[in-house]
Amino acid sequence: MGLLSKKDTKLITDPLADNNPITIQVLGICSALAITAELKASIVMSISVIFVLGVGNVVISLIRNIIPSKIRIIVQLVVVAALVIIVDQVLKAFAYELSKTLSVFVGLIITNCIIMGRFEAFALGNGPWRSFLDGIGNALGYGVILIIVGFFRELLGSGTLLGYPVLGNPIPGELSGLYALGYENNGFMLLSPMALIVVGIIIWVQRSKNKALIED
Amino acid sequence: MEKRTDKNSYTIIFAIGMVLVVGALLAFTASSLKPNIIENQRLEKQQNILYAMGINDNDESSAVFISTDKAPEAFKNNVTDQLVITVDGSGKILKTQTRDEYFNETKQEPYLIDVKKQKANAKKGEPRKLPLFVGQNTEGKTVYVAPIYGKGLWDAIWGYVAMDENMVVQGAYFDHKGETPGLGANIKQRYFMDDFYGEHLLNEAGVFKGITVAKGNADPKNVDKTDNEVDAIAGATITGDGVTAMIKSDLKLYKPYFDNLKNN
Amino acid sequence: MEHIELFFKSIFIDNMVFATFLGMCSYLAVSKKVKTAVGLGAAVIFVLAITVPLNWLLDQFLLQPGALTWLGAEYADYDLSFLSFIMFIATIATMVQLVEIIVEKFSPSLYNSLGIFLPLIAVNCAILGGSLFMQSREIATLGLATTYGIGSGIGWFLAILAIAAIREKIRYSNVPAPLRGLGITFIITGLMAIGFMSFGGMLTGGDDAAQPETETVQVQDQPETKDVSLVKEENNTEENGMSDMEQKTLANNTINE
Repeated sequence: MGLLSKKDTKLITDPLADNNPITIQVLGICSALAITAELKASIVMSISVIFVLGVGNVVISLIRNIIPSKIRIIVQLVVVAALVIIVDQVLKAFAYELSKTLSVFVGLIITNCIIMGRFEAFALGNGPWRSFLDGIGNALGYGVILIIVGFFRELLGSGTLLGYPVLGNPIPGELSGLYALGYENNGFMLLSPMALIVVGIIIWVQRSKNKALIED
Repeated sequence: MEKRTDKNSYTIIFAIGMVLVVGALLAFTASSLKPNIIENQRLEKQQNILYAMGINDNDESSAVFISTDKAPEAFKNNVTDQLVITVDGSGKILKTQTRDEYFNETKQEPYLIDVKKQKANAKKGEPRKLPLFVGQNTEGKTVYVAPIYGKGLWDAIWGYVAMDENMVVQGAYFDHKGETPGLGANIKQRYFMDDFYGEHLLNEAGVFKGITVAKGNADPKNVDKTDNEVDAIAGATITGDGVTAMIKSDLKLYKPYFDNLKNN
Repeated sequence: MEHIELFFKSIFIDNMVFATFLGMCSYLAVSKKVKTAVGLGAAVIFVLAITVPLNWLLDQFLLQPGALTWLGAEYADYDLSFLSFIMFIATIATMVQLVEIIVEKFSPSLYNSLGIFLPLIAVNCAILGGSLFMQSREIATLGLATTYGIGSGIGWFLAILAIAAIREKIRYSNVPAPLRGLGITFIITGLMAIGFMSFGGMLTGGDDAAQPETETVQVQDQPETKDVSLVKEENNTEENGMSDMEQKTLANNTINE
């Protein structure tokens, strides 16, 4: 990456693994649990968060010097909420089909603590360009976990990926693929508690690989 | 040292300025885009009603509406009348109006009646207006489409159910505002909606039973159409219960109308 | 009666953490010690108990379609519901900022241990979720809205208290090193949520389904009783599962000690 200095590159790559917003910073958990029963929803949510966090971080960073510290939370929330509502309204007017797919996520994005968390922790103290990179990096790190969880939950829970059956046909009478051998979908994977357990296992794997992250 | 931005006066001025700017921005977008949004919602309602009637461009697996540019014309051609039935709190029919009678009275198309508002009015003890769309499906059978509205796990769910005069379901469409993707959101998947086709809303004795979205159903392939049950979506109990509840509470009100229809 | 039902429903059946998975971030991050957990839990109860009724008023008199009728008949057609997100959030953020100032003044140690998670109460989705559920479930009166707010808050408080207590104990257990801390907390929360799912069997009698239909009641009776017993059985097994787990952790504790 010739465009970015070494320090800037770190802003993007760190949150992907060693400083991941979900598994290390504990931010943005609710949405990671709510929407990962399907891979498609995970991808849509990741893209929306990349957009909102990237733009939001820049806006907050630009106005960071004029925000009164006493009401900074309100200011931050208003910025995100206004941004999301405007995008939602524009989509409703001009791309109605797309807006129907996204409308589920509007509330989840506004209350996603990853957005507020990065505003507080980074954008309030750094310039727009670095904040932008930080936003993109964290949103990507968040997206990676979402997609991993979505992948496993959809594969094991409904035997499909992005809606396409990959393990064969489960309908009784026309069994094929793995189902013909007696395999059954684990419907439990579709329930939210299993998302918690999957994230727990991801943390386990990640920390086994990188011992520095282990808590005492 | 106190920073400039810590002063109370500055905080207040900033807050007022922010409210004005953001408020103006939001009000401007909302009001300038409102006509487009309303038009989109109008077309969507037409598409939904047509979908429930069986007039749609369905391909093999997914639910596809008739395209937006064709919807108004198809709606005109296929929906022969839009009745408005006014009922009181006990479910007694006060009057039945045709589309033209209703339009002359209120200057509003019956399919734009807000079911949510009507439900709220009914709770306050006011008479409730029930729209019912009459039309021919592709097999030439007369079907009656009724809108329903209820609550899922997170937010509102709604739908349209097409019935024949014996209250046997001829098609259904469900939608939701924010159900969990992959779970409750699947009520708008074809495999769930198609299950309703042919289900009876009445039992053998002719009493209104509704259709229960049942877990651990003895009939998972949905062969038995008279059991008043369809198979639930795994992991979406509360959304399924919401569908059951809205079918029961909203379609029950149409029962007297169909009784009258048969008696005459 | 209505109040009591809603109260217990919002604590157990619709528990913010275990049923709807809201407010997870602060739940996971601030549950290391019972003391801080109690502080945050109390703050959440307080904020929910105030914001839900406040937002109920906003919703009734400002945001709902037709809510502006009190200003005059010509305002009846206005629909400001697109503003509900931002209005709710603004109320919440104001209250949170207030709580932050109060806590900083009176308990600096709690303020320091809550750290970034105090401002994050504002985006604690449990709080906004409370207001949005209040709106979408069409809670009828101000009193019920208050009950709902307090109930949800207590539900969240109980959840964080339980996990904090378990985490304090589990420190003495022999958890695989990479799982220690956050990892095992995720998994325990998952198991607790599965346990809480059994509450779903309580209070499932629909209110408007209770229509006397003499002819059909008898037909319906049998399958329904069967269902109930099934649910009960599930409850039992799941409760057993939970207590097994607790016994295991207890056993582990004793071994280590």
